[in-house]
Amino acid sequence: MESPLLGRCLRRLAQCPSRSPQRQIVQQRRLYATPAEATGDIRAAPPIRFSSDPQQFSQPRAQFIDSDGMNTAARRRDRNRNGNQGVDDQELLRQIRIVPASPSYFTATPKYTDDLLHLSHLMRKYQLLPVLEPGQAPRIAWKTIDQYKTELAEPIRSKGYNALLHLLKRLNYIHPSLMPEEVTQALDKFQRDVNPYLNIPKPITVSAYGVSVAAGRRKSSSATVHLVEGTGECLINGLPLPTYFGRLHDRESAVWALKSTQRLDKYNVFALTRGGGTTGQAEAITLACAKALLAHEPDLKPALRRAGCVTRNMKRVERKKPGKLKARKMPAWVKR
Amino acid sequence: MILRSLLLRQGRFALPRSTLIRPFRRYLASQIEETYTNPHQHQQFIAGADGDATKSQAATSLSAESEVLDNDPVALNYALQQHSKAVTGKIGSMVEPHYRPHELLSNPPSPKDITLELLMASQSHIGHSTSLWHPANAKYIFGVRGEDGHPIHIISLDVTAAHLRRACKVVSGVTERGGLVLFVGSREGQARCVVNAASMSKGCHLFTKWIPGTITNGQQILGKCKKKVVNHKDEEVKGFEDQLIQKAAVKPDLVVCLNPLENYVLLHECALNNIPTVGIVDTDVNPTWITYPIPANDDSLRCVQLIAGVLGRAGQEGQAVRRELALTGQLPARQDHGLEPPAEQETDERNSRDKEHGRNLLQAGDV
Repeated sequence: MESPLLGRCLRRLAQCPSRSPQRQIVQQRRLYATPAEATGDIRAAPPIRFSSDPQQFSQPRAQFIDSDGMNTAARRRDRNRNGNQGVDDQELLRQIRIVPASPSYFTATPKYTDDLLHLSHLMRKYQLLPVLEPGQAPRIAWKTIDQYKTELAEPIRSKGYNALLHLLKRLNYIHPSLMPEEVTQALDKFQRDVNPYLNIPKPITVSAYGVSVAAGRRKSSSATVHLVEGTGECLINGLPLPTYFGRLHDRESAVWALKSTQRLDKYNVFALTRGGGTTGQAEAITLACAKALLAHEPDLKPALRRAGCVTRNMKRVERKKPGKLKARKMPAWVKR
Repeated sequence: MILRSLLLRQGRFALPRSTLIRPFRRYLASQIEETYTNPHQHQQFIAGADGDATKSQAATSLSAESEVLDNDPVALNYALQQHSKAVTGKIGSMVEPHYRPHELLSNPPSPKDITLELLMASQSHIGHSTSLWHPANAKYIFGVRGEDGHPIHIISLDVTAAHLRRACKVVSGVTERGGLVLFVGSREGQARCVVNAASMSKGCHLFTKWIPGTITNGQQILGKCKKKVVNHKDEEVKGFEDQLIQKAAVKPDLVVCLNPLENYVLLHECALNNIPTVGIVDTDVNPTWITYPIPANDDSLRCVQLIAGVLGRAGQEGQAVRRELALTGQLPARQDHGLEPPAEQETDERNSRDKEHGRNLLQAGDV
């Protein structure tokens, strides 16, 4: 005897084929994301068109949108131009590629690296040429690292620039009679525009009237001394020596150059001083007097050097610093 | 002396030129030989070469290369010295073919010259101590040597040769398609071979420390470095300068790393950016860092220069193929450079429009 449940199942199964067309229709409706009829601004996407053109992937994708017929600036431009130029542009775009301007691109300092490689190449090529004696190479003022960095606009370390300078100095030693043209060009590129070694001080001479003029400085004072052979007179800013310098020490130091060489009665001194105080002005006159004396008698230089008149005393008053009372003096220490 | 006075009287242009200077100059070669030539071709004793030249004749003919200034004794002495060296240096000598270290740089071998003998002579089979090895490259190791004291691993040279040939194919394939190869070697002594290899493959070189972020942060690090646009004949094309300013920094298409242990950051950046890498994998290097490893000795300069030279030659061959194809009109697959044609006519139109607009504005008497 069949169970009622089994009977129900069998009857359901028998009814199944008649129901399936209805179920399919329901499923078909669910497949479309957009409605079948075009309502409002929702439109179905255009059908996909496949092309068998071998060049289809060599164009940028934007070209496909253009080829649908939209009036873009590029299309207008191409139409306005002659037919040939439009084709040439496309051909040009197919041929070109972006590459680094220098093979040292990935060093992040391409110009510096190229310079280094060029100099190393020259060094290797001409390393067997005869060189000058040590110390005999022409004295050249090379560019400072700051000047070089500003010119190249690259972050270069001083270690790197020193390596460059080392190569330059070695190349500078090649004998001038055999110096190659390309080495000269390479060295010129690294020379400073103004050569400071050409700055030599004007020599102090004795004029036709027997007067030599020299300047001297000490602290913040400066002095100009006119020295001429005479009887031992001395005028400073129009005043005699004892009048101008009240202090005996200052009087002695002002004419120390003459006193130490025992020529006080041999020369007349006419000095003009400005700036500073008594000691500064006196020492400035010392230096100026010594330089003027050397113009008259150059052989006195060792004696004047021993007397301490030849070197310019570079000491200056040190500035006051924050946190200190004077240049060095600290405020009183407090425990708390 | 007779010799000098002859020279001074007759002048150097009146005298015959010597041709024997060339072999000596090759020693100083700083240009790489474009076509590979057998270096031992010249090692043949040529009997009677310039043998007719008597002493006076030899001394009076000068080399064309030395630039002699008029009467400087140093220059004259040097010229005489060079000439006599060239003329008399080879007399009586029969030099057998021998190894010349500088030839790895001046005339590197090509991929077809890779032999196991060459690799062994360049010490590329010597690995590190067995205690320092990386087990992942066990398949490249032939065995162990020096059982008593400090055993070291020996790299299989047949494996090395196979991997090197594959790497050469990769490099030449990349250059054939107009790709950019970057050669990196930051150890001491590797600078020259890296620069040579890059110049042969028309790629880029790096022989100092890799700046981390050069690829991942290229705009910051390489933003100021100049790029250019070249066509299929490698000629520069003007007119894209303003577009190039907007473009991102250039990334290499292949990176060849001669010392991966020191450049792991570079290799990681390449992996992040899907840039394939070729590298020399020693027994202590992790081979998974590199796409196309070449198991060899990275500590021997000879080995490194050999590998760099061979890869450079492969790049050179690829460039030659690309040039031939380009000249016949077969251009390789174009890269997405995203450039637009230089808009010359558009700027002219814009200028003329601006001028008219400006004239209209200035009518009211603006300053």
